[in-house]
Amino acid sequence: MKKQIIRFRLNDEPVELLADPAQSLLHLLREELELTGTKEGCGRGECGACTVLLDGRPVNSCLVPAGKVEGKQVITIEGLTRSGEARPLQEAFVAAGAVQCGFCTPGMIISAYALLKANPNPTAAEIRSAISGNLCRCTGYKQIEQAVAMAAQQGRGSSTTTKEN
Amino acid sequence: MSYRIARDLEEALQLLREGRGSARIIAGGTDLFLQDLPEALVDLSGTPETLGICAEEEMLIIGACVTHAEAAASPLLQEGATVLAEACGQVGSPQVRHAGTLGGNVVNAAPAADAAVGLVAMGARAVIVDTADARRQEAVENLYADYNRSRVDSSREILLHFAMRKHGPGEGSAFKRFASRKSLSLPMFSVAAVVRLEQGLLQEVRLVAAPVKPAPTRLPQVEQRLQGLPASGDTWRLAGELVREAVTVRGSTLRCTAEYRRHLAGVLAERALQEAARRAAGLKAGESK
Ligand SMILES: Cc1cc2nc3c(=O)[nH]c(=O)nc-3n(C[C@H](O)[C@H](O)[C@H](O)COP(=O)(O)OP(=O)(O)OC[C@H]3O[C@@H](n4cnc5c(N)ncnc54)[C@H](O)[C@@H]3O)c2cc1C
Ligand code: FES
Ligand code: FES
Repeated sequence: MKKQIIRFRLNDEPVELLADPAQSLLHLLREELELTGTKEGCGRGECGACTVLLDGRPVNSCLVPAGKVEGKQVITIEGLTRSGEARPLQEAFVAAGAVQCGFCTPGMIISAYALLKANPNPTAAEIRSAISGNLCRCTGYKQIEQAVAMAAQQGRGSSTTTKEN
Repeated sequence: MSYRIARDLEEALQLLREGRGSARIIAGGTDLFLQDLPEALVDLSGTPETLGICAEEEMLIIGACVTHAEAAASPLLQEGATVLAEACGQVGSPQVRHAGTLGGNVVNAAPAADAAVGLVAMGARAVIVDTADARRQEAVENLYADYNRSRVDSSREILLHFAMRKHGPGEGSAFKRFASRKSLSLPMFSVAAVVRLEQGLLQEVRLVAAPVKPAPTRLPQVEQRLQGLPASGDTWRLAGELVREAVTVRGSTLRCTAEYRRHLAGVLAERALQEAARRAAGLKAGESK
């Protein structure tokens, strides 16, 4: 396998490494950079466990060739945790009982974070749509929807309730 | 394998030339990365020539590397190519829509690819350049060689953008699909409709169904039968019957039987036409006429 130099920003720090550009970003993160917070469920874009932010947008890292991230920004769950930006979501997930086995949680948090960043006051339907690419086999989703709504409310200073629809 | 990110169209063409058939274009990668990879990939997704959505007089130009998420959120498309914005908004999942592109959707040549169905309903033409710098324009439905096989050879051709006439006054459109789940599920069937109304009568109808053939398929016999009829429940019911008769469908062990697909074709055609006519009349969802 031919390797090439890949340079990108990972969790707000520059990274440069010699790696196979044909492996997935998911593989690069987990196996070469030892960032195992990003999970592999299906490896085919169907479960969302591997969701990361690529230039600010949620994508399935299992479908991104490592070569594609050259010159781009990648944010993983580790990055959001370290910066404290995921804190309201993490606390809401715990409070709402939205974590059972936890395998889907990093991907859910990334999707929810991307939603709240773009739309701090989402409707219930917008929350469901934002996590529609993330499968959870444990919770039945209700608690996750509640957690995202709680985090949104917190972000707004708890002054309003979530719009229904 | 080598992976090169092209800065612009000229560099992408040059990298394909150097590959002499062993290099291929990659855009979002959501189809290609799950298939056997070629020796060299040329990433087109950052080239300015393939990005952006703009309106030029009555035309809309959509870059081939515009993502489904961008298309679905574009006010220009929501207004001027509603059926396309709606179709793009139903692809896969948010993650797939942020990566997958309209050009990739067409060149991957799946028979029921959502954006492709919307593009054919809009009468979109694709502008293609090749490594010899020749440019050609083709209707999107003519780009299919067979099931899952495009006539665009991405080892020496690049789809640059799509061009189509935007909706004018009295025009409306809609996209309806049915799948086993709302997200992350390919449709069992989909129908796109574009109509133009004058004084409550259907002056122009474009109906596209998929999967029927390798390409999204216009139904000209049905379109003609509907011309001049009033925008009413009776007309939509007639359209449903005509569509059921007009489509050839295959069953699929993964999705559904041929019989069920035929049933869906009729139901979705009724709903798509009704919604398109409602929009053409300037009414919102839920309001009736
Ligand atoms: C989980 C999942 C769910 C999905 N759900 C749907 C769905 O609901 N509906 C749907 O329609 N699709 C769906 N898809 C398929 C896919 O996401 C789309 O077809 C997408 O639009 C492909 O675009 P891309 O940019 O990722 O293409 P790529 O994978 O980058 O490329 C696909 C093909 O097109 C060629 N190509 C790409 N761009 C160009 C260009 N500009 N010029 C020349 N050749 C080019 C490539 O060489 C390749 O052969 C799904 C995929 C996944 C993984
Ligand atoms: S592991 Fe990427 S979507 Fe399932
Ligand atoms: S908590 Fe187990 S998969 Fe979601």
